[in-house]
Amino acid sequence: MALLTVKDAAFSYRSKKGVEKHVFDGIDFSVERGEIFCIVGPNGCGKSTLIDCLLGLNKLEAGDILIADKSISEFKARELASHIAYVPQNHKITFGYTVLDIVTMGRTYEQRVFEPPTEEERDYARKCLSLVGLSGFETRDYSKLSGGELQLVLIARALCQKADVLIMDEPTAHLDFRHELNVMEIIAKLVKEQQISIIMATHFLNQAYYLENAGVNTRVALMSDCHFGMIGTPSEVLSEENLLKVFNIVTEVASTKDGERKYIIPLYNEK
Amino acid sequence: MRKTCSFDNVLKVLVLVALPVVFFLGTICIGRYPVSLGEVLGCFKAFFTCDMGAVSQQTYAVVMSIRAQRALQGLLVGASLAASGACFQSLFRNPLVSSGMLGVSAGSGFGAALSIIIFGTTVFTPGFSFGFGVLAVVLAYLVGKIAGGSPTVTLILGGTIIQSIFSALLSLLKYLADTETQLPAITFWLMGSLASTKTSDIWFAGIPMVLGMLGMILFRYRLNVLSMGDREAKTLGLNVGANKIAVISCATLATAGAVCVSGVIGWIGLIIPHICRMIFGNDNKWLVPASISIGACFMVLVDTICRTLTAGEIPLGIVTAIVGGPFFIYLLKKTKGGGW
Repeated sequence: MALLTVKDAAFSYRSKKGVEKHVFDGIDFSVERGEIFCIVGPNGCGKSTLIDCLLGLNKLEAGDILIADKSISEFKARELASHIAYVPQNHKITFGYTVLDIVTMGRTYEQRVFEPPTEEERDYARKCLSLVGLSGFETRDYSKLSGGELQLVLIARALCQKADVLIMDEPTAHLDFRHELNVMEIIAKLVKEQQISIIMATHFLNQAYYLENAGVNTRVALMSDCHFGMIGTPSEVLSEENLLKVFNIVTEVASTKDGERKYIIPLYNEK
Repeated sequence: MRKTCSFDNVLKVLVLVALPVVFFLGTICIGRYPVSLGEVLGCFKAFFTCDMGAVSQQTYAVVMSIRAQRALQGLLVGASLAASGACFQSLFRNPLVSSGMLGVSAGSGFGAALSIIIFGTTVFTPGFSFGFGVLAVVLAYLVGKIAGGSPTVTLILGGTIIQSIFSALLSLLKYLADTETQLPAITFWLMGSLASTKTSDIWFAGIPMVLGMLGMILFRYRLNVLSMGDREAKTLGLNVGANKIAVISCATLATAGAVCVSGVIGWIGLIIPHICRMIFGNDNKWLVPASISIGACFMVLVDTICRTLTAGEIPLGIVTAIVGGPFFIYLLKKTKGGGW
């Protein structure tokens, strides 16, 4: 059974005068355990809005999002947090908490109002830190980490929520080449070893290929004109014809010399 | 390693509890009528056992009905302002925010001036001041709500708008006030003082201050999560709206309680939380209690300077800035702003 099912979802931004901007409709998909579901599409196609709907921050206009056959609109914030965890794209650092404090915040939904985090919860946070390869960072000031390390801390915090589904919005935005690879390696490892599921919005199409190459169950949804144009494996969806249609660019899908890894490069704009 | 950590924590708690006690007893000893520490302790013993022992009537009067009350009020006021400042900084995710952020101080100032003009300086002043302080925050919150929900930015905007409206109204009152009697009374009230502390004030303002601080201490773990921003706090499983209202209510109770008896005392709500950030770090688990303790000590210290430095009383607001500013610069230099 699917962990999370989205049925015929639609959303528009409304004002008192009526529909201000129609964002998407007819979105249908489901996510299984141990799978990465990538949402790709041009800027402004509605990826982030869809993600906000999945997080319960926006309310769908029509359709439904189901977890274990229950609509997420019936979930309280703390219940939703036990099923869906979020790795934000732009985390604004205001005050320098320790890395362990940040990761332990993943356990918030289980604490009663005035309850401090327990030692067991801290231990679980330590375990999550080691899962993303940051053991030994516990007492570091998180405002002084590099961008890549910060992203891993936020992934650890999401893991600490013990949620079935992790939602990531551009997990490697602002990261350099090496750190991007590092984050992708961790993501692939987590899905394979921990059997968690990830819904990820990304602009980097090669990330979908990377995950497929790494043997992770990966599906891609190509979003354009308010719809999911196509859903399937990266090889099926991210083809030269489809990208020409959606992004209006000429690309080439190629393989590494050993023929084991696929990748895609943009060539030029279709005039 | 964990053992030394917990030893550290015990030490921190001891220091935070002991410091205000030391300052409390210290300030009672100091003044134009010198009292020794032994006599002070004797007075407290007499107070609780009703046995005067070796303490003279005069000493008892100075200690119990003048200095102890004033010192207690000072502790509460300083602690409230600093704790509210710390909470607002975390809540609004802005290190430049202080306890007056949502217009409490401006509203309280207006309320006090209004009551001075209507009734003269009377027992009504704290009540008016408290009421208008709370009213200002409620208005700021409602203004913030107009923009939908209660996102932090619109809340800050609401606070700024209400603050400037009440400041303008206060200026109007000052302009209309009688320049011989009312205007000086308003001006001195606004500069802040603990000189007129009465037992009734301690009860009237002490209860909201203590309740507010208690609430802030209890909510300090939630405050860490709230400081991640609305989006993230919600996805971490927090009912953001309700938690925000709770924290704002506690901070408002405490600040309005402080301002209504002491007048507008700037700086404490801004610099004490920062001093505590530099020493104790940014975790609200420590920051809130530390701000309470250090804020209380700082206020008592400043008040002692105010009443002993010259024959007359120097307004508190002046000394907090003059003492606080350089101390803050010193800490900044020493820690290189490492706290945040």
